[in-house]
Amino acid sequence: MNNKALRQRQDNFVRGVIYTLGSIGALVLATIIWYVVSNGIGLVSLDLIMGDSRTFNTDVYVETAPGNYPLEGYTGELELFYSERWGLGFVDTFNRAGNEAVEIGYVHPDSPFNQSLDKNGFDEFGNHLVIEVRPGFTIEKGFTDTAIFLGRNGAEQIATIVNQANVIDEISIQSRGDGIRGSLITTLYLIGMTLLIAIPIGVSTAIYFNEIAKRNRFTNTIRTMVDLLTGVPSIIYGLLGAALFIPLLNNTIQTAGGSVISGALTLAVILLPTIIKSTEEALKVISNDLRQGSLALGASKTQTIFKVVVPSAVPGILTGVLLGVGRIIGESAALIYATGAAIKDEIILTERSTSLAVHIWTVMQGEKPNFELASAIAIIILGVVFVMNFVIKLLAKRLSKAMY
Amino acid sequence: MDAIFELKNINLYYGQTQAIKGIDMTIERNKVTAFIGPSGCGKSTFIRILNRMNDLIPECKIDGNIEFEGQNAYAKDYDVIELRTKVGMVFQKPNPFPMSIYDNIAYGPRCQGVKNKAQLDEIVEQSLRRSALWDEVKDRMKESAMGLSGGQQQRLCIARTIAMEPEVILMDEPTSALDPIATQKIEDLIVELKELYTIVIVTHNMQQAARISDNTAFFMLGELIEFGATDKLFATPQNPKTEEYITGRFG
Amino acid sequence: MISIRDVVTKENIKRKNTIDGVTQAIFMASAILSASFIVLIIVFIAFKGLSPFLLNYEGYNFQQGTVDLDPVNPISFLTGSQWLGGTLGLSSDYGIGFAIINTLIVVFLAIMLSVPVSVFTALFIAKVAPKRLANVMRTVVELLASIPSIIYGVFGLGIITQFVVFVAGFFDYQTAAGLSLLSTVIVLSIMILPTITAVSETSIRSVDKTIIDGSLALGASDIQTYMKVVLTAAKSGIFAGIILGVGRALGEATAVALVSGNLFAGIQLNPLGTTATLTSRMLLGIKDTTGIDYDIRFSIGLVLMAVIVITNLSLNFVMKRLGGIHEQ
Repeated sequence: MNNKALRQRQDNFVRGVIYTLGSIGALVLATIIWYVVSNGIGLVSLDLIMGDSRTFNTDVYVETAPGNYPLEGYTGELELFYSERWGLGFVDTFNRAGNEAVEIGYVHPDSPFNQSLDKNGFDEFGNHLVIEVRPGFTIEKGFTDTAIFLGRNGAEQIATIVNQANVIDEISIQSRGDGIRGSLITTLYLIGMTLLIAIPIGVSTAIYFNEIAKRNRFTNTIRTMVDLLTGVPSIIYGLLGAALFIPLLNNTIQTAGGSVISGALTLAVILLPTIIKSTEEALKVISNDLRQGSLALGASKTQTIFKVVVPSAVPGILTGVLLGVGRIIGESAALIYATGAAIKDEIILTERSTSLAVHIWTVMQGEKPNFELASAIAIIILGVVFVMNFVIKLLAKRLSKAMY
Repeated sequence: MDAIFELKNINLYYGQTQAIKGIDMTIERNKVTAFIGPSGCGKSTFIRILNRMNDLIPECKIDGNIEFEGQNAYAKDYDVIELRTKVGMVFQKPNPFPMSIYDNIAYGPRCQGVKNKAQLDEIVEQSLRRSALWDEVKDRMKESAMGLSGGQQQRLCIARTIAMEPEVILMDEPTSALDPIATQKIEDLIVELKELYTIVIVTHNMQQAARISDNTAFFMLGELIEFGATDKLFATPQNPKTEEYITGRFG
Repeated sequence: MISIRDVVTKENIKRKNTIDGVTQAIFMASAILSASFIVLIIVFIAFKGLSPFLLNYEGYNFQQGTVDLDPVNPISFLTGSQWLGGTLGLSSDYGIGFAIINTLIVVFLAIMLSVPVSVFTALFIAKVAPKRLANVMRTVVELLASIPSIIYGVFGLGIITQFVVFVAGFFDYQTAAGLSLLSTVIVLSIMILPTITAVSETSIRSVDKTIIDGSLALGASDIQTYMKVVLTAAKSGIFAGIILGVGRALGEATAVALVSGNLFAGIQLNPLGTTATLTSRMLLGIKDTTGIDYDIRFSIGLVLMAVIVITNLSLNFVMKRLGGIHEQ
């Protein structure tokens, strides 16, 4: 009797340990999500996704006379000080370095500042460049026909000075920056190009192994070689990109150093084992009856593969592709070597730039890591990756049911 | 006697094991020839020699003389594709492709390069009519073949084979996966098709062989024990093993 | 009507066979291409990674201008206890021995921390938890597996290092902002948790039910059965998961580089001190993409590959010895 109680107590203790250790994973996942969301959600906006990464400083002016632009549809949280005559609103806020600053809070849709002129920038005919003043631009200083103002005057005073002005000679602005448009575009380019390279090679390899190759030493050898790729860490793939693809592209299409293309080639190699494996798994479950049925009708092997086998394997191939897209989006170490870590706003395929994941790496480096921006990008990456995970699960369920 | 297949001294090996042992056989044109015998006797292996389906098994080796329409079907210059378009095959389990009914029938002709829509339409209709499936499926040609019943699927596979206008149709236990009504329909169809094609059928069902075949071959352990006209073989078997088998004493 | 038999001509079949041959050759070429990458990886990294030991690089410094550097000594490279003796750009005295040892320490500790959690999580999902909870946890593990390493790096730098600073406070210890061996080990152990859990779970679930029934029939409780019978039976699968985890841990780069502190010299045994792994040494401080300071990173790559292969082989050897006792 005593023994039984002891055993039960032991069992309950072990059960408790299992429950505790078993829930650590959930705790960690929750913490990660909580951390990136609480740090980054404030930054996630269309502005972040569409914005430039670099800030630029310049001086703008307008040639138009003041008009009347009543405030409409301001939805910001900060108190807006508005000049109706110029259609320009100002807010007191803090810039990303944490200092007090005055930013543009609102620009009326008809305001002349939608097409202000850049004092320092000219097009090829010598005309001033047109700049669209947008909410988020920081005000440094300005001259009007009646007064001078500085950023430290505060939004209220600046709005008053601007509203009294009949001519605006100059406003010095700084654009917001820290946008991720360039990295987002690079990531999309990388996904497209990588898949374009990896899918044909990967699917063909899987077809060769499963449909064509004879069982002999040669087949075993190349299969083992392909399997070995699975265990290679991504940083080593990065070295391959730097040692093979970058010099290759430098010497053929005259790129200078890393580029989106060298990144895509490297990622394609990384993806190969995944695509080969999931395609092969899909090919394996296709009934041999179908192949025999096709061959017995006088179809050639090629016809059998393309008309009967591959169409049935599409869900499996798609699974591999989705896994691959997840890998591309999350890959950092390989791309640091294969494309470089320079954040760009204008993306050229033959030049360096960064994907979203490497963008995080770049802003996390150095003395003052930018946790907010890193978390904001992390939210986007996690969102995509988690959704992809869900879709893969759905596909797998489909796959296990009857096809077609 | 009009022979379509002449087989002499056929031996077949899977690696070290011999599955077919020195068989001679003549298969008559426009007749139904049935292969019977206990499971593992080599009858399914033997039927696959006729359209070279055994080629797909790497460790399988065949020797002997196999003549189809007077030509060596295993000669280097005799193309296996040509052979298979002339010697069609229907399998044990219905194996329609995961495509529409129409595409299933048009598959073989398309693989030979027939692209003309009108011609394909005609081939499809004629094949379905001959396999007594036309009335059941004519309004659902674009639907998936996987939605058909098992018996319909098997008749579709026969229609698919007919679309190639073969000389011979091989059937490897075509009714073993079907219920009695579907089996009856297939048997009726075989009797009808005999007018146009030579049919070779493997069956585990002796009554079926007796009902539909003209000639019957009895296999055991890779050997051909007895071969002759069906009515004679079942009425007065020459070999005591045959008699034991058909009277149900074993197998 | 034209007969299908008229289409099946010798010429048409010949053309079909030609196309068939060409296509099959293309498939084969793809397979050979896929297989060739492992060779290309080794050859090209070796080519670049061996040159610091063979060539005289040109060094440059503002004070001294261009100088000729001696080739790196391979022995002192492999055994060296500091990354660089002398000034960056003027010295070829690179050493990586301390980072090899630190890498092994980090990975060993991460495995020690991760294995109990992973195996119990696997047991929890496969046997102990009610079905719905098990499904939730399985999804949790899948999601953890899908999180990219850079995000683990953000999490590590944002949370784990703060946790280490907090812990160090109890010992009145001043850490390098939490960048430490302990942070690295914690982050790494979290990252390999899904790998070990997934493989262990599969092997726990595939334990023969008759063995379990046998144990229960002898009067053992379910928990006793799981602990004594199921885990023993699933041992080789769990070990395979650990080997996979070790492989992942050895090659993990970005997250580790962010939290390790990238120690410059010496073997680190103090959990609160900074450390350096081979990967953090490769990834951090890239100034230029030419010159010895860049190419030496390919030499580290070679060392990393060797470490992975040797570790893998020895663990597989150990597994065979362990597995041989009960199985076969």
